[in-house]
Order: sequence, then C-alpha cells, then structure tokens
Amino acid sequence: MLGLGNPELGVLMLALFVVFIMFGFPIAFTLMALGVFFGYSALGDLVWPLLVQRTYSVMTNDVLISIPLFVFMGYIIERANILDRLFRSLQLAAGPMPGALAIATLATCAIFATATGIIGACVTLMGLLALPAMLRAGYDVKLSTGVICAGGCLGILIPPSVMLILYGATAGVSVVKLYAGALLPGIMLATLYMIYTMVMALLNPSLAPKLPDEERNVPLTKIVWGLATSFLPLAALIFAALGSIVAGLATPSEAAAMGALGALVLAAAYRSLTFTKLKESVYLTARTTAMVCWLFVGSFLFSAVFAYLGGHEPIEQFVKYMDLSPLGFLILAQIIIFILGWPLEWTEIIIIFMPIFLPLLQAFNIDPLFFGLLVALNIQTSFLSPPVAMAPFYLKGVAPAHVSINQIFQGVLPYVFLVILSMVLLYTFPQIGLFLPNYLYP
Amino acid sequence: MERFLFMVDELSTWTGKAFAWCILILTLTTSYEVFSRYMFGMPTSWAFDASYILYGTLFMMAGPYALSRNGHVRGDFLYRAWPPRRQAFMDLVLYILFFFPGMIALAYAGYDFAKMSWVMQEHSAASPDGPPVYHFKTIIPIVGVLMVLQGIVEVIRCVICLRTGAWPQRLHDVEELEKILIDEAEQRKQAEMRKAEVTGIARGDI
Repeated sequence: MLGLGNPELGVLMLALFVVFIMFGFPIAFTLMALGVFFGYSALGDLVWPLLVQRTYSVMTNDVLISIPLFVFMGYIIERANILDRLFRSLQLAAGPMPGALAIATLATCAIFATATGIIGACVTLMGLLALPAMLRAGYDVKLSTGVICAGGCLGILIPPSVMLILYGATAGVSVVKLYAGALLPGIMLATLYMIYTMVMALLNPSLAPKLPDEERNVPLTKIVWGLATSFLPLAALIFAALGSIVAGLATPSEAAAMGALGALVLAAAYRSLTFTKLKESVYLTARTTAMVCWLFVGSFLFSAVFAYLGGHEPIEQFVKYMDLSPLGFLILAQIIIFILGWPLEWTEIIIIFMPIFLPLLQAFNIDPLFFGLLVALNIQTSFLSPPVAMAPFYLKGVAPAHVSINQIFQGVLPYVFLVILSMVLLYTFPQIGLFLPNYLYP
Repeated sequence: MERFLFMVDELSTWTGKAFAWCILILTLTTSYEVFSRYMFGMPTSWAFDASYILYGTLFMMAGPYALSRNGHVRGDFLYRAWPPRRQAFMDLVLYILFFFPGMIALAYAGYDFAKMSWVMQEHSAASPDGPPVYHFKTIIPIVGVLMVLQGIVEVIRCVICLRTGAWPQRLHDVEELEKILIDEAEQRKQAEMRKAEVTGIARGDI
C-alpha cells in the first residue's frame, strides 16, 4: 500500500492514531479501526481471526479480572459515608501539629484514595468537606487546594491501585512485584507532601494558623475512639488486601474480591449499604470496566498489528541514531510521558504508549519493573498539570466561587515539583523501589 | 424515530445492567474460593474458569451500555471546547469511517469464531474438568451486533445535533459522584446568585 514497506506502514499507523486522538473520538474504537485497516492491508483476511483472538484474549486475561473487583470495592467505599468520620478523627489526631488541617487532609486523601482508587470522588468530596474547614480556619487558598489535589491523586500510585494492574498487563510485569515495589515510593511521596506542608506552615504561620485551643487539646480517648472507628477499619481493609497479595496468600484478583467483600461488610457496619447504593455501584462498575477493558481490546489488536508490521524498528533505529546513554533515554522517556500527561489521561498513556516504549527498554537494559515505578510516579503529574489536570478542575467545580482555577494551579505547582523530586530520589536510590520486591521474591 | 432511539438505548442499558450483576457474583465466588482453600483446605475446581467467564461477560456486555452513556474515554482536550455542531460532525464522520468497520468486523469474525467452538463443543483447557466455553465465545458476535445497533443510534444523535445545534437528551441514569457533586455545587451557586439578584432588586441596588 502506498509503496511503503511494512515498518513504515507501522509508523504511519501510529502517526495517524496520534492525529485522530485529537479529534476526540472514543479511543478504543479508533484503535480497533486502525488495527483492522492496517491489519487488512498487511495480513489480508487473516486480520479477522486476529481481531477475534485478541478480543478473546482480553476476555480471558487473568490479570485484568482484578480491575472490576477493585473498581467495585472503590465505589462501595466511596458511598459508605466513611469520609466525614475519617477526616474528623484524623483532624483531631493531627491537632497539635503545624498545619494540622492540611496534614489531616493529606492523610485522609491518601488513605481514602488508596482504598477507592477513584480520584474524582476523593477530590470533590474533600473539596466539600475539608476545603471549607480549612478556609474557615484562615488557611491560605493555594495551600488548601494544593493539598486536596495532590493528596487525592495518591490513590493511583499507592497499591492496591488499578494503574499498576494496567501497567502489569501491558508490560508483562508481575502485578505482585509492582505492588511490592510501589509501596515505599508511594509512602515516600505522601511523606514528602506532609513534610513540605509542615515546613511551610512553620516558616509562615499565616498560611496555616493554629487551630483554637479546644480543637488542639482533645482527650486522648476521644482521638483513639475516633481513629478506631474510621481509620482503623479502612487501613485494615487495605492492609489485608495488599498484604495477602504481597505475601503470596492470594492472587491480585482474589485479594480484590476479598477487598470488595470487606468493603460491603464495612458499608453495612456503617449502616450505609442500601439496595440503591449497591445498584449504583454495580452499574458504575460495569461502565468503568467496559471503558477500560474495551480500550484493551482496541490496543491489543493495534499493538499486534503494529508489532507484525515491525513499526518498532524505525523508532528503535531513530532512538539508536540519537546515541543516548541509558540515563539519557530514561530521562527522555519520562519527559515524553510527562508531556503526554498534559493532554491525555493515564489510562491512555499506559495502555497505548507503554507498548511503544517497552521494546526500547530491553535495548537500554532497563528493568521494566523499575521503569514502571518511575512511570507510576510520573503519572501523578498528569492529574495535576494543566490543561487537562482533572484534579484541579474537579476541585474548582465544587469550590466556593472566589477560589479561581489559577489559584488552584499555583497551589498544586509545589506538589508537582515534589513528584519530580521523588522521581529523582527513586532514580538515585533504586532500592527505595526494588528493595521490597527483591527481598520478598529473590 | 425517537421511539427507535430510546428502544435501542433501553436494550443496551438493560443488557448492560443485567450483566453488571456479574460483579457481585464474581466477588462472592472468588471470595468463596479463598475461604474454601484456607478454611476447608479444599480449593474449588471451577473458580478460575468462573472468574474469567464472569469478568469477560461483564465488560463485553457493558460495552454497548457504556456507549449509550457516552462512557468510552475520549482524548477530549480539544473536543470538549468545540461547539456541539462541530463535535457532532466529527463524531458522525468517524462513526462511519471507524466505528462501523471495526464493529461489523467483530460481529462477522466473531460469528465464525463462535460457530467453530459450537461445532467442536469446545471446553475450557484451563482446568481438568473445564466447563464449555462456546456460550462464552458467542458473546463476541452478540456484542458486535449490539454495538452496531447502538452505533446507529449514536449516528442519529449526531444528525439531530447537526440539525438543532444541541445534543439530544439521554436516558436518565446513575452518574459518577464527582459529576453529581459538581452539578449540585453549580446549582447552589446559581441559586445564590438569583437570591442575591432578588434581594438586590428589592433593596434597589440593581
């Protein structure tokens, strides 16, 4: 076709995809169509069985089974009325610290987002709950909005997160190792956020005034009771799900199912498990799962045809021609992902663009597990940086009218730098990410 | 015409919602497998096959439902800012150029794929007493046809939008929490503005 060799056709297919993605048509169908067209031109009638085989391999993929289960768990917890309690009890516990409300917000976001894995819900709920509380206490608008956005996004990094399942399925890396690997970097990033916030509150107390005395000197029993009824059950649920995966007691999908069951029990214990809420969670789970898994149907076909055409070769040659060192390549790849994060969402970056990077990793002798951890950190920025930055826009949607989107972006900016700092730390000390997986699965 | 539109919407929605309950069954059966293994020391022989069949059925059957809710992810950083007519025009062209060829191919090739499985009376090879999988494979052509039907409805929506300049209403359904909360906040703000306006008029400010 067009007098082009197969590898050039592959590159053309990729280029067309990048162009068509801009037109806003559902990506799954764009991928499928380009796969069918280019597959037909190269394979003829063989493309039909290929299309069905790839579809069927998504339907029987045992890694992806955990996606609907974790999503379901998230929707149940999201509707379990747990967030109010969690925030109030963490707020009491954080009372004497500098920037207490901001710290409590970060901690609430980190644990709630980890349990639900849903960014929009965490950011909007906290926007209605924590933002008015912080503004009333005289906190700086930028600081208050920054912590909500940054904290709300931690859920896709800290395991058990759906993003790492997608990466595992795309890159053929064990999800168990990814979970073990992402745990410490995730906690490190959350800690960096908290340290930064506390330091800012200490340096400039007008950003985060001290709470009134009656909120700082709460009897210990009240704090402990508050934590025991909100923080503890949720933490136990996450710990049990994650622990059983990492310890090898259950596969990720089994742990996800137990997590979903645990979430149902938890919701029942909080007396918020009504049939309506269950029904809503079930339907939303179906839609979200369909969205993610159809993307896989499209991308499995697309990448099969792309690989058959040998579209990697010109890209590899081009990268080799640039004569990069492994470090140079790593930085280039991360910069590309960072920039892709401006217009695109993480699902698209992981499912569509990862397969293009992966063959190059081998050429540069980079561990796909380690690369995945860097990507997981990097993707955090795609939620925070304009113009698509979902977190600031969700927050703007529920914030009081006087909070402007620019203030939110300014508030988020320091946290974007902290993400980059954590990537540098992870690169310099790879053991932060590799220690646990190497120790547990030598 | 409108009746056809909503009839297909209802069909996709009903199918999607009916099979959405697979998630609950999947949660319970997989949990049962874990209990059975650790509490009774008896792993089940069917749990693995059951899990991917439930998961595969769930997401395939929810495909047309998600389409009827405009739920398939778009790279919409430009699209979002376009006026409805331009969105509709682009969608219309790409539905015809991209969507139908892909889905018709899926239905057509899926039919052969499923037929072969029925002829062979194929059973799962993943476990010793593997259950039959020909029903499961038949889902592919069924979903292909449902997707084509829902696609026709989406094309009609594009045409209506091109004519009237506004996207026609969709069936009411459950929404994501952030959308509900943001919509509520928007309504609150508008209500406050109206109230301020009314008091302003009453006080003679405006």
